[in-house]
Amino acid sequence: EDEDDNLGLEAWERSYADDRSWEALQEDESGFLRPIDNSAFYHAQYRRRLRTTARIQKGLIRYLYIVIDLSRAAAEMDFRPSRMAVVAKQVEAFVREFFDQNPLSQIGLVTVKDGVANCLTDLGGSPESHIKALMGKLGCSGDSSLQNALDLVQGLLSQIPSYGHREVLILYSALSTCDPGDIMETIQKCKESKIRCSVIGLSAEMFICKHLCQDTGGSYSVALDESHFKELIMEHAPPPPAIAEFAIANLIKMGFPQRAGEGSISICSCHKEVKVGVGYTCPRCKARVCELPTDCRICGLQLVSSPHLARSYHHLFPIAPFDEVTPLLNDPRNRSRSTCFGCQQSLLSSGNKPGLYVACPKCKKHFCLECDIYIHESLHNCPGCESL
Amino acid sequence: MSGAAQVTKRAKYKISVKDPGTPGALRMNDQKLMFMPDNRNSGAKLVVEFKSIQGHKYTKEGSNKPPLINLANAQGGSYIFEFDSYADLHVCRDFVSKVLEKSKETPNAALEKSAIKLPDEQLSEEEMQLRIKLLQENSELQKLHRQFVGGNILTEAEFWAARKKLLDIDPSKKSKQRVGFKSAMISDIRPATDGRTNKVTFSLTPEIILQIFAEKPAVHRAFLNFVPNKMTEMEFWTKYCRAEYLSRTKNYHAVVAEAAEDEELAVFLKEDDILANEVRKKIRRVDPTLDMEADEGDDYTHLPDHGIFRDGTKESNELQSEHYRRTLLQDLNRHAAVVLEGRTIDVEREDSTRALAEALARSKRGNEGADNNANEERLDRTPRVAEIEDLQAPHCLPLAPLSIKDAREYFDSQQANTLKASRDAQASMKCSLSKQEAYRSVRDAISEIKDMGLSDPIVNPEVALKVYSGLTHNISSIKYHLGKNPRETVLDRLPSATKEKLLYHWMSIQELLKHFWSSYPITTPYLYSKVNRLKDALSNIYPQLEEMKESLPADLRHQVSLLVRPMQQALDAAIQHYDADLQKRSAKSGEKPNGYI
Repeated sequence: EDEDDNLGLEAWERSYADDRSWEALQEDESGFLRPIDNSAFYHAQYRRRLRTTARIQKGLIRYLYIVIDLSRAAAEMDFRPSRMAVVAKQVEAFVREFFDQNPLSQIGLVTVKDGVANCLTDLGGSPESHIKALMGKLGCSGDSSLQNALDLVQGLLSQIPSYGHREVLILYSALSTCDPGDIMETIQKCKESKIRCSVIGLSAEMFICKHLCQDTGGSYSVALDESHFKELIMEHAPPPPAIAEFAIANLIKMGFPQRAGEGSISICSCHKEVKVGVGYTCPRCKARVCELPTDCRICGLQLVSSPHLARSYHHLFPIAPFDEVTPLLNDPRNRSRSTCFGCQQSLLSSGNKPGLYVACPKCKKHFCLECDIYIHESLHNCPGCESL
Repeated sequence: MSGAAQVTKRAKYKISVKDPGTPGALRMNDQKLMFMPDNRNSGAKLVVEFKSIQGHKYTKEGSNKPPLINLANAQGGSYIFEFDSYADLHVCRDFVSKVLEKSKETPNAALEKSAIKLPDEQLSEEEMQLRIKLLQENSELQKLHRQFVGGNILTEAEFWAARKKLLDIDPSKKSKQRVGFKSAMISDIRPATDGRTNKVTFSLTPEIILQIFAEKPAVHRAFLNFVPNKMTEMEFWTKYCRAEYLSRTKNYHAVVAEAAEDEELAVFLKEDDILANEVRKKIRRVDPTLDMEADEGDDYTHLPDHGIFRDGTKESNELQSEHYRRTLLQDLNRHAAVVLEGRTIDVEREDSTRALAEALARSKRGNEGADNNANEERLDRTPRVAEIEDLQAPHCLPLAPLSIKDAREYFDSQQANTLKASRDAQASMKCSLSKQEAYRSVRDAISEIKDMGLSDPIVNPEVALKVYSGLTHNISSIKYHLGKNPRETVLDRLPSATKEKLLYHWMSIQELLKHFWSSYPITTPYLYSKVNRLKDALSNIYPQLEEMKESLPADLRHQVSLLVRPMQQALDAAIQHYDADLQKRSAKSGEKPNGYI
């Protein structure tokens, strides 16, 4: 009878009925509720996210188009408040994260509505303009068309230089596609143009999406709920491994502009206004630009600053995953190593029992779980190795 | 008379209608009109340019009024002339209207003439119209266009090549995407029923009609044959809807009766023979290694009741009539086949249903020829796509391993380049220190520092303070001059004429520099000549900037010179690059002065 009852419940109701989340609550000495210790759970999640540390090429200069499906199916309410709203919010977060991790790359947005694909924004490096354009145009109707979207993106990506990595991320809510021709031909063309297509589905797995992703070397995943969707989309932020036949090694000319002096006044080339002080001068044509990274409007040189390159560097040389340490209870060395090297907090959990912690394979320093996550995901440098 | 370049008539010049008027002679040519009074001393002589004339009015022939023509000028005044006869009036009137028309065209004509493309560029009518429209709307663009293309610094093609984005806005030029057939079966039309009046209403849109034609070729053929010869479109669709309604009622006897009465209706109710033919052809094309006979023994789906024993006594006998019963499955399969074939016709482009039907027929005929090839392709592709996933090899594209090249390679090669360049340039530093000498000097310097120690403090405090206060004063003075109002920009403090000129110069410099930098590296003689042209234009800007600076009062001059300095720096950088490149190429190519590669 239990099963019959459960069939009528929604997913969120089941988390109460089945998982009995109230049993995980504990009270401390004074009767207040103790905060639930989720650290082990997050740590397990993070371990799943760790990738191999083999030395492989990654596409650092990415040209990514995000295709958002705004067909009738995007108005479905199984993702609260609606699929379209959830997608828009996560795309905003993704765009910011993407530019954080890939400062040399560019994003463009495409929407599919009424069976036709439209280019919402062109390839550009400024997150604000993309987000503003997206939030302004959220309305859904009609059918969605995979072939039209792929055709449009392929046309737009054919103009970028050969050292860039071409990618498409399709956020697909519909269960069907309304195409004017043979979609297999389009997939073949994408493969020849070396475009890596990935799809995140919101409803169910579709053969054509799977076939597309397999052929072009992308990844296909279907989201179960809002948080899962967020995880899946954030997986696309770090640069993907480069496929051997697509990767071409080239020397790329870049400019490292100097910051304009405090008192310099000039008319900037992006806004046609007079700006004082804040800005950079292109080393080749001496035009003034307001922010980096960007392409110089006058001479077309790619302008970056060294921190941007440094942010891309750590993708190529990731830190080795730390080893989990199972402490021996009677180990005399335990007393000396009882604090985390990163945050100096005690590694012993409640009741003087040693909790779970990790150690760096190179410098052998111990770290707690939170520091482990922080070092691998944000810091990208091991404090123990750097301090030697 | 209409072709005359000049008209002379006797007329009286009146200041107002009531004025008796001064008699004299009125002469008009392309540019102006002149009135000479008979009495030379009356002082009513008049010379008016046609440019200032806005419009003209005249009295009609049939009225009782004298023949008058009233020319209104831009300031609101008017010149009234009275003629001797209506014939004169007509002549003058025609002439005036002709001249006025021509003068209206002149501003556009100038643009058009310059916008008319060079013979090497193929432009369509629409593109020219779009360019002219853009130039008229955007005055900045017009100024740039006039300066550069008119001044023969840039060609028309180059000017517009940098503005592809503006030209692309025209939606009719963009390749329009086609929408595929909908997955929903809209050809399965259901009527709206009105309970009160017992009427059923079918609504058909061109989209639905296209699907009906695509899915039911017999109906398509009937349409082409019957309309408009035998019946109007309305009647055709009425019959069709009636047939649909009847077949859905499942009232067999009614169907048979109606079909017997109305021949055309029968067409809609019968089996679709075109489809049947196609299916027969397809069956013949099946891969001969597929043995359909052998499967029949395994096939229980075609046995009555799927092989399950059932008591069928209660069912009534169905009439096996010659009228075809379409099952839902057959409809679905046909619809799916049509959708997957794809769509080649754009519904919006066809005006009438007849045009739609014809377009569909044309495309079908086109497809027939390609049928054989398509079949082979399909046979080829099916085994590839239909492979079972679990039986396939793991589908992983190989990843590229990371290989970081030795950075010294790049630096060494760069150093070789700079050494070569410095050797070519005059009077490079003659550094002929040997290794021993260099080592000795470094060692001496180190021992000196060891003896004396570094000076303490390292930097002289008075000097440091002076530098520091000088810098802060500089920065704060600029902020002071800019004023407290954050919204007021530097440009606003200048008089508007200066501001305009500055912005204009800046825009033209940007445009020239854009074209200049985009022509490097020079690979064709065309680019070479273009770069020369641009360089001359750039060098001409220096004196213009100087002139502008000098024309200003002294207090503004400092501000403007601060603004002008970055522009000059940009120009300097461009010209420097040009000179360096020229030197490099002349060194490389030796005696070829033209720089031909």
